[in-house]
Amino acid sequence: MRLTMQMKLGVVAAGLGLWIGALPASAHHSFAAEYDEKKPVKVTGIVSKVEWTNPHSRMYLNVKDANGKVTVWNFEFGSPNHLFRAGWNRNTVKEGDQITVEGWGAKDGSHLAQTRQVILADGRKVPGFASGGESGGAPTQ
Amino acid sequence: MRIRFACLVMIASALGVSVWAQAAPKGGRGPSAPTGPAPRLPDGKPDLNGLLNGGLSSQDISLNLMAGEQIVLTPAADKLMKERRPKDDPEANCLPAGVPRMAPYPWRIVQQATHVFILFEANIHSYRQIFIDGRPHTPEANRWPSWYGDSVGTWDGDTLVVDTIGFNDRFWFDAKGHPHTDQLHTIERYTRKDLGTLVVETTIIDPGSYTKPFKVGYTARYALKDDLMEYICAENNQDVTHITPPLP
Repeated sequence: MRLTMQMKLGVVAAGLGLWIGALPASAHHSFAAEYDEKKPVKVTGIVSKVEWTNPHSRMYLNVKDANGKVTVWNFEFGSPNHLFRAGWNRNTVKEGDQITVEGWGAKDGSHLAQTRQVILADGRKVPGFASGGESGGAPTQ
Repeated sequence: MRIRFACLVMIASALGVSVWAQAAPKGGRGPSAPTGPAPRLPDGKPDLNGLLNGGLSSQDISLNLMAGEQIVLTPAADKLMKERRPKDDPEANCLPAGVPRMAPYPWRIVQQATHVFILFEANIHSYRQIFIDGRPHTPEANRWPSWYGDSVGTWDGDTLVVDTIGFNDRFWFDAKGHPHTDQLHTIERYTRKDLGTLVVETTIIDPGSYTKPFKVGYTARYALKDDLMEYICAENNQDVTHITPPLP
């Protein structure tokens, strides 16, 4: 896949870890009420399902541990509206892809997390939430 | 070139700008920033039509207080606000945001000679209807307490003044739970300063919850190359089952 100059810029920025510390915009509910910023999550697995739905896109990941036991993780993303405006499309992540997802775990201890970024199989890093731009200066929430 | 490139990235990051957000493909839906004078309709009225980004903070309305303004709750409203829990926020439950709350998604003004419609992409895919044909408010007997109230608009020079009454008391002003009663009365002033800028100031009057009126404001930006997208909040709303008390 040929990257445009702007996309390279995005990849460079993500690669530099510039998203760290910026909790995602969530129009719909309080981040702190559902997720714990002190519970970082980073797992690699196979995408079993992608839901382009509102209020959040979701990607379900089959994650295998050292004993071969598979756990299904539910990763919350920005709405498809936000993601597509930010440059995502339906081919960015597809069922069957192996990806690594970084995010913050749910306070209730379930295998649920809000996504900070995805590391695609080719190494590109893509933010899971888009803040700014589409919300026109509304505070990051 | 490389250094300039790196500097751009650093500056963008420092400003909190989503660099990936600039990576929208050519011809995509990325935001634009039009410039030029405020347009007018053939009848000379300001033309407010267009897709906008921006609104009050959906998390805390006090962030948008105008200079010198204060939010002073009545004791009953203060108690109610302290009792509220995030899982009960109507917005998190895919109910309408009411007025003046807006989800941080695009919205569109559709202006006709007799009506102005505000079309919301989110939080629910709904609309407000504002009568600008000179009619008074709908008589109380002919309406019931509603999420968006009964809105009539008039022109004050180049400013559209929207007066709204008839609200229900079910929506929250923000995720913090700032409350209101069915005595709520809002007066919104919409002024298109230039092609790309809409300034909105809202007076909140609710003697049932606040000891005095207060004003909040924000600046929205027109995005001439974007369009509304579908947003059906209730189709996959898993959040409320995972939200835990207490308030953040």
